[in-house]
Amino acid sequence: MEITLLRGAAVLLLLAVAAGIAVRKLLLIYRLIRLGSGPVPLAPLGVRLRDLVVQVLAHSKVLRRPASGILHFFIFWGFLVLLSTIVQAFGEAFVPGWTLPVIGAAPWFAFLQDVFIVLVLVGIGIALWLRLAVRPKRLAGQDPVGAYMILGLITGIMVTLLLSRGTAIVLDAPRWAAGAEVSRVVAGWFAGAARGTVGVVAAVSWWAHLLIILYFLTWIPEGKHLHLITLVPNILLRKARPRGALALLDVEHADRLGASRVEHFTWKDNLDVFACMECGRCTEVCPANSTGKELDPRRLHTDLRKQLTKVGPALLAGAGDVPRPALVGEVFSEAFLWQCLTCGACVEECPATNEHIDKIVEMRRHLAMEEARVPETMADALRSLEARGHPFRGAGLARDAWADGVAVKRLPAGERAEWLLWVGCAAALNERNHAPLQALVRLLQAARLDVGILGDEEACTGDPARRMGNEYLFQTLARQNIETLTAYGVTKIVTLCPHCYNTLRHEYPQLGGRYEVWHHTQLLARLIDEGRIRPGGAAASTITFHDPCYLGRHNGEYDAPRRVLGAIPGAKTVEMAQCRERSFCCGAGGGLYWLEDRVGQRVSHVRTSHVAATGAQVVATACPFCMLMLEDAAAATESTARPLDVAELLDRSLAEERH
Amino acid sequence: MEIIVCLKQVVDPELPARDFAIDPATRRQVREGRPLVISTYDENALEVALQLKDRVGGKVTALTLGPQGVAGDAIRLALAMGADEAVAVDDPHGVGLLGVEKARVLTAAIRRIGRFDLVLCGCESADWVERVVGPLLAEALAAACVTFVSRIELRNGALLVRRMADEGFHQLEVRLPAVLSVTSDETNRPRLPKVKDIMTARRKPVQVWPMADLSGTSLDGDAPGVEVRDVALPERTARCEFLPGDAAAQVAALTQRLRDLKLL
Ligand code: SF4
Ligand code: SF4
Repeated sequence: MEITLLRGAAVLLLLAVAAGIAVRKLLLIYRLIRLGSGPVPLAPLGVRLRDLVVQVLAHSKVLRRPASGILHFFIFWGFLVLLSTIVQAFGEAFVPGWTLPVIGAAPWFAFLQDVFIVLVLVGIGIALWLRLAVRPKRLAGQDPVGAYMILGLITGIMVTLLLSRGTAIVLDAPRWAAGAEVSRVVAGWFAGAARGTVGVVAAVSWWAHLLIILYFLTWIPEGKHLHLITLVPNILLRKARPRGALALLDVEHADRLGASRVEHFTWKDNLDVFACMECGRCTEVCPANSTGKELDPRRLHTDLRKQLTKVGPALLAGAGDVPRPALVGEVFSEAFLWQCLTCGACVEECPATNEHIDKIVEMRRHLAMEEARVPETMADALRSLEARGHPFRGAGLARDAWADGVAVKRLPAGERAEWLLWVGCAAALNERNHAPLQALVRLLQAARLDVGILGDEEACTGDPARRMGNEYLFQTLARQNIETLTAYGVTKIVTLCPHCYNTLRHEYPQLGGRYEVWHHTQLLARLIDEGRIRPGGAAASTITFHDPCYLGRHNGEYDAPRRVLGAIPGAKTVEMAQCRERSFCCGAGGGLYWLEDRVGQRVSHVRTSHVAATGAQVVATACPFCMLMLEDAAAATESTARPLDVAELLDRSLAEERH
Repeated sequence: MEIIVCLKQVVDPELPARDFAIDPATRRQVREGRPLVISTYDENALEVALQLKDRVGGKVTALTLGPQGVAGDAIRLALAMGADEAVAVDDPHGVGLLGVEKARVLTAAIRRIGRFDLVLCGCESADWVERVVGPLLAEALAAACVTFVSRIELRNGALLVRRMADEGFHQLEVRLPAVLSVTSDETNRPRLPKVKDIMTARRKPVQVWPMADLSGTSLDGDAPGVEVRDVALPERTARCEFLPGDAAAQVAALTQRLRDLKLL
């Protein structure tokens, strides 16, 4: 009795110490997170709860990598189920042989626990195999000591648990033993042993079990394992903005533009940083990183965390300025920050729902607006945007040059139309995109849709300026366009450009411009469904579709263009391995159309190699930027697959019929 | 160092060819409804001035001519890039002045500004390409003059300038005051203004001087000695002709033609 009391007191004391250490560390992290600014509007609760179920309980994102997905799934569910054994182990400190009420002694429950002990051990095995034999590149950037440490601790917890259960069966023959198939095997090992020896093994393994768990508890708030605690809040506190929209900045009144110090981010950015589990999925799918550039979205998070943990405590203590390496320029070089295509592959992949693009754009905002330091060719584009409302220096084309010979209404000439065709600079000012525009107008007119254009009065939506970090210029252009759209009473917009689509749809409402916005492939798909466009002819070619980042990942539209292609008789479609959510940027996003891709492989050439791997004769595009990039890349790599816009392909099938 | 930079506003040289037009009455380019920008080399001149100010301190004044209301954008951009003060001469003649006439107005304006060590302007304007304003200003202001300057440096009180030459460059030492006409090189690409500076530039005062108030600028009587008689868009014609005969005859005929044209 006295021994039990003493033991209970010792366990309580140890628990208090361990919990104290853990809580202290967690409180510090909480305060570091709160160093960030706010408020950050949150998504609707329903969405956040759904994400929680899908991404945490069902592990939807983690499972995209089969091996590491399964292993993590086993360990995660094992952790949940085996919480019961942990509670029981602590209970035994006070009442020997104590089990959870109702289910604790049930043989079926003991069976379940045994199953998960095995699954966790299998998970550990897969993890070791991955790390020692497969060695995927994405794990190379992790802290190896921490990773092996956690595997060791979990193994220790499982082994001591099995020993405790096995010896308990030998000593007490509890009711649950009937279900505990695996623990009974362990019990078998002690069949011939003296009762005293078994008792010692039982005591040692029970203590070891408890101590490892307590140590584990104090260790969680460090490094990547913190995600055990931060992940759920990170998912539950997801931002309200649609993925494609960047945060609105009050340029006139902000006391600083963008982020140049770790304390300039929002609390949500900081929470992201502590929720990162260093899995490297983002870096693995990053088109900039995988073509040999410096940009590394995982390092974005781990280095922000390092700096926050290093200088944060001094900042919390009230030190205004703490000496440290510059965030922009040293921790992250300017090249690092300018290499991001804002393609969203990282965001799509991240199991912690972290937002990489926002952080990069915040630092670009600092560079572009506070320091006016922008790579030269991008600066030329910005200057051109300022002077003439489009970023294509030296274009020398009128905005409606493409419409010569096409009977489309001109709103500035006083004509009225139900739909506005928003042309976009990339389409209007680059001759290669004139054919898709003309094809689109023919198709819409064949469907008897009433469309007009703004001609010279259309200005750039501001998307490139915003993504290059010049929020001021973006807002100037957006306000000007909103004024024009209001003046002509525009309510419905169709556009060929996914960048314009995204900005008009998600970003103009931030400034009061609300319209019904359609991407041309969406409208064409609808018109085909309604029977207003009837594809004919037989296009005898194999087509592969290149998903534009701003239509697919940023706006979730993967099916409309495929439905249009599928409706063309005789067209055979094949998919690239990197398609839909896994699509690979053409190399133009994030304003990088205006930056020569000189480091490592060219993103556009790699994309063309994906096209070539399908053997398709045509790569269908749905974005004027993708068109320009893929045309250039096809010429440079002597690829035989021709880029053609979805509208061009559909128009051809109609044209054949018209003959 | 007191620096005055003369900035001319021109119709965007990148204007689509379709939108380029000449007004037959004034024999000048139509500006209405066309975007205006600072003439290319004038921006380089401003950049050179700002770099010098960044290094040795001083004041940069931006000076422009133009009818009321038009001068705004160029001046604001110059202020945003870092000019300290701005003067716009309100020129009722619009933009039809020739270099000789402009130089006269600018001289009067510079005299009214008063003190200066350096006057910078672009080596040529993006529309008329007369290349006379710099030298004429120097003449009128009795200042030293160097044309086609790309870099300026102040060393031990002496102003060293690099003048671009056909092959290579001249390195010259210039006494002050001086008027320099500036050309472009990789060191004087105009900077992007910082957003904060754009916003403060909106509130900086701009002095607007009616041209009539400037003494010695009267354009009547004293003829500029130059007159524009006619301006026309260049016409481009292409002709295609097929030489008759078989290949050998074609070769012979072609060679003969090229010889006649003195191309061979
Ligand atoms: S948005 Fe794309 S380019 Fe930028 S970090 Fe993420 S994956 Fe890399
Ligand atoms: S940011 Fe997300 S995807 Fe990238 S390493 Fe961290 S948890 Fe993994």
